[in-house]
Amino acid sequence: MSTTVIAAAGARNLRVSWVLLGLSIAAAIAIVLGSQWYRERESRESTSAQRRLSEATGRVEAARRERDSLQESAEVFRTLLERGLLQGEHRLDLVEMVNSLRVRHGLFSLDYEIAPQRTLQLPGGRVYPALEVLASRVKVKLRALHEGDVLGFVQDLGQSRQGFYPIDRCLMRRVEAPADALQPHVEAECAFEWITLKDKNANRAS
Amino acid sequence: MRHFLYLTNSRLVSMVTQGKRIAARREFAVSGAGAGEFERYLAGVVDIPTHLFVDLSEEDFRLDTIPHVGARDREAIVARKLSQIFRSSPYRYAVMQGREPEGRRDDRVIYTAITNPELLRPWVDAIERHAIPLVGIYSAAVFSAMLLEELDLVFAHTLLVTFTPGQAMRQTYFRDGEIKFSRLTPVDLEEGQTLGMMVAEETTRTWQYLDSLRHFSGDDRLEVCVLVHPSDRPAVQPELRDFAQIQYRLVDMEQASMKLGLKPAPLDSTDEEVLVHLFLMRPAANHFASPELRRFASLRRARLALNQVSIAILAAGVAWGGYNVFRAFQGNQAEQQLVRSIATLDREYDEITRALPSFGVGGSTMRDVVAFYNASIRSFPSLPEFLVPVSRVLQAQPDVRLSQLAWQATDDPKAMPTMTAGGVKPNVNVQSVAKSEGSAPQQPPAELNANPPYAGGKYEVALLEASVRVGGNDFRGALDRVQKLAEAIGQIPGYRCEVVESPLDVRTSLAITGRHSGSDPASMEARFVLRVMRERVVT
Repeated sequence: MSTTVIAAAGARNLRVSWVLLGLSIAAAIAIVLGSQWYRERESRESTSAQRRLSEATGRVEAARRERDSLQESAEVFRTLLERGLLQGEHRLDLVEMVNSLRVRHGLFSLDYEIAPQRTLQLPGGRVYPALEVLASRVKVKLRALHEGDVLGFVQDLGQSRQGFYPIDRCLMRRVEAPADALQPHVEAECAFEWITLKDKNANRAS
Repeated sequence: MRHFLYLTNSRLVSMVTQGKRIAARREFAVSGAGAGEFERYLAGVVDIPTHLFVDLSEEDFRLDTIPHVGARDREAIVARKLSQIFRSSPYRYAVMQGREPEGRRDDRVIYTAITNPELLRPWVDAIERHAIPLVGIYSAAVFSAMLLEELDLVFAHTLLVTFTPGQAMRQTYFRDGEIKFSRLTPVDLEEGQTLGMMVAEETTRTWQYLDSLRHFSGDDRLEVCVLVHPSDRPAVQPELRDFAQIQYRLVDMEQASMKLGLKPAPLDSTDEEVLVHLFLMRPAANHFASPELRRFASLRRARLALNQVSIAILAAGVAWGGYNVFRAFQGNQAEQQLVRSIATLDREYDEITRALPSFGVGGSTMRDVVAFYNASIRSFPSLPEFLVPVSRVLQAQPDVRLSQLAWQATDDPKAMPTMTAGGVKPNVNVQSVAKSEGSAPQQPPAELNANPPYAGGKYEVALLEASVRVGGNDFRGALDRVQKLAEAIGQIPGYRCEVVESPLDVRTSLAITGRHSGSDPASMEARFVLRVMRERVVT
């Protein structure tokens, strides 16, 4: 009986407290969930920022390495630019240069042949991502009074300030002629690659 | 805040405490008018937990022993005994006092009850009507055992004498600190009788009663502790004379209050404030109140518990949320720091990028160009450079005449440059007849491959066709000269030289033809071919 009385009275008396308890639980859950959501969002953003920082750090380090690397090779590159390595073939220039060398070294005759330009196969199949290496095979046949003239021609050609002409073959042969005669005593056949480079990125950019 | 009621046969004292001190006090007469006044007064203390001390002459005590059984059975036995002894009163209580030292070692019990419940009815009804949270109803006599402990007055036989509101004197007998008996006597002094005389008479009478119940042996002495205010001390002390069986100890109310920490000390000898203060120090369990009477206190306790749980949950939620927000805020600050770092890095990246030497092309292009130059062009061999040291060696050999030179830059260390035929016509009588092997290739120099791969130029290989002038038929000398020439060239740093075609190949695998007629020439031009190779040193 007494238990019933207490229970009935308690239910009425404690109704507000139970409601408050429910509200407190609901509010606490809402606060916890809301704050948890906010914290996780911040955590995700922080993780994203960490990733972006890592990327930015990597980008900067790569840029630093590139800067250091490029600073070392900038002077070399400038020289190469001046020698027209990236300017394509100006065949008339080569014709004029060869003619001038012929005159300079007093060659009796000079025959040459410039083959069509092609993509040059590099040793080991090496490929440069940003470059296309082009070359025209050039063969020269010349006759001179003395082998020194031939060598002078070859030397000047190799040291030309315009273009790169690595001579890879040369055949020099003595021509029988009286020693005191003003006739060719030496004839030579040489071959070299006229190398030019093409910037692949320039094509892509255009 | 708590509310204490101290009910005697003539007065009801209300004391409201705050903390450990009594903040308000009010007395009501035990009468109809007093009850009405009390009911009005209760309206102002509705929600304060209330404790009711009863100090009534109608409180009875019975000593008993019961078999020592389990807790549940003991409760049943005690409840049955209480209902048997105090059938008419709901206000009953049993104090378990340990076990007998001998025999079956039964449990000692003292039963106590308010034998006239009507004395409490008006007050309890008023409390019920106002739904006052009644925490408990306590026997002042039972609770006073704590007073002895706190005041260090526990003796083998102690009689605590206290005065109650409404002019009454309570004598409570304790043996070894356990209450055994208590009685309340109205202080109704006769003419010429002092309070001290009454105390002496009543305590002597109580001793006689206890002695008749065989509480004392011959050597026992009853320590009578009288709690008295200094104002009453002169009226009491002179009349109290110690005997062999009775020794009086006057306990000064002010000193006792000081010892208990009760401030301010009571103004008279009544003990209600001391007991209330003691209760605040050492709360006791309910004695007489039924669960139904205590239901409002239970509800209040439950409500408070629920509210506390609510607050705790809310506080925990807020704390957890606050922690999350704090961590999020920390994370946000760290993120802001990261964003600033990223911005700094981006600026640095832009600055680096802007400062990069571009020459109108990308960095990768520049890198590739330089790499190509370093790998393929910079160290590419040069014919004049190759020939200079060889020429010096040849100049030291005036008898050697170079007729043909075939030079090739290649990556193949076994490469054999191509010469043209008919460079030297040897005027010798003896010749080896070459089949094909071992001799220098004499092919037209035309390249069959229209797209030859780039000659890396790791090696420079040259074939030198020449002749050496020696005495007629001096092939041995010619061979020796050629061999020495090859050795001289081979001694140039980085050069290797071998004889490809000697003036006379004497290998057994070849045929040799000779033609001698007439007289032999005084000298002869012996043809030979050398293969000279130089390996590029990569720096």
